[in-house]
Amino acid sequence: MECLHNHKQGAEILTEHLAGTLDREREAELERHTRDCPDCRRLLEVWDRLDEFPAPALSEDFDQRLYARIANETRMPWWRRVWLPTATIWRPLWRPVVPVAAACAVLVLALLVRNPIAPDSVNQLRIEQGGSSEVEQVVQALDDLELLSPVGSEQSGAI
Amino acid sequence: MALDRDPRLGMQRDAPPALERDAELMLRVREGDETSFALLLERHRQPVVHFLYRMVLNQAVSEELAQEVFLRVYRSRATYEPTAKFTTWLFRIATHLALNWIRDGKKEKGQESLNEELLEGVERQVADSTPSIEQELVYQVKLREVRRAVEALPAKQRAAVLMHKYQGLGYSEIARVLRCSESAVKSVLFRAYETLRSRLAHMA
Repeated sequence: MECLHNHKQGAEILTEHLAGTLDREREAELERHTRDCPDCRRLLEVWDRLDEFPAPALSEDFDQRLYARIANETRMPWWRRVWLPTATIWRPLWRPVVPVAAACAVLVLALLVRNPIAPDSVNQLRIEQGGSSEVEQVVQALDDLELLSPVGSEQSGAI
Repeated sequence: MALDRDPRLGMQRDAPPALERDAELMLRVREGDETSFALLLERHRQPVVHFLYRMVLNQAVSEELAQEVFLRVYRSRATYEPTAKFTTWLFRIATHLALNWIRDGKKEKGQESLNEELLEGVERQVADSTPSIEQELVYQVKLREVRRAVEALPAKQRAAVLMHKYQGLGYSEIARVLRCSESAVKSVLFRAYETLRSRLAHMA
């Protein structure tokens, strides 16, 4: 047998060996190989080595703290109880949205700074849209005044 | 060392029975039975806390995350459907929280020394049963080396190894927790054990 780390099915053989599901023939082959191969022997020994990683005992008030949190949530108004799990579920999705929105805002700002709308063009536009009608109104008003002025006043003025 | 679950049993327990005990309990919790929730907590709090401790290497944080796991289970009781094994769901929540915690870099500088102190506490507890001071010292060195080797694994590899070795989860269950294929799990585990072998080679 080839060394497990060079073997095409190395992962399969190791995991099946650890699960105790490797067929007899292959198990015997692996055993023979590991007798002469220290690397593969050590690989199989890692499983036992990991026994030397204990975890500390649980705090005595673990349940008490958990039930206090549950009671606290139960006392919450109904809308917060509905919102809380929803917010927790959606939080990972919202996380990337904030930087994307910030990047968009910066981009828009940069575009505005680079291509500002010139004030002259605004005035020009205003004149084009409404300026002509103002002139017309003034002319019209002068004409009206002329019409309303008493007939013959020009003549009296001339006197 | 007593493991959290018998790994050999776990590996052959991939096919769930018609309705497993945990799922039955959870369905009762859905109906408002608080005692069933207490039973679920009793059955799973230690494996969950131990898994999280080995992931984040901080006792206070592991308990805080474990509380969040059970809180989420409780919150989801109304919508619970036994579509997968209860432990798959439980460890998916735990793994998700642990990976997020690691990713967000919540590990503060001061925690390292605290972890060392806690580790020494654990070592002392375990070492009390060893017969001589010399053996105790050798054992403490071994514990430290193994812990550091596991700690140095990439987070997903670490999660896979911890579920495989200490929680006794089967390959298909680990695959469902990590949302990948069974063959990917085997490959991740192989890479992780290979890395551990090279890091722990001097201990042979």
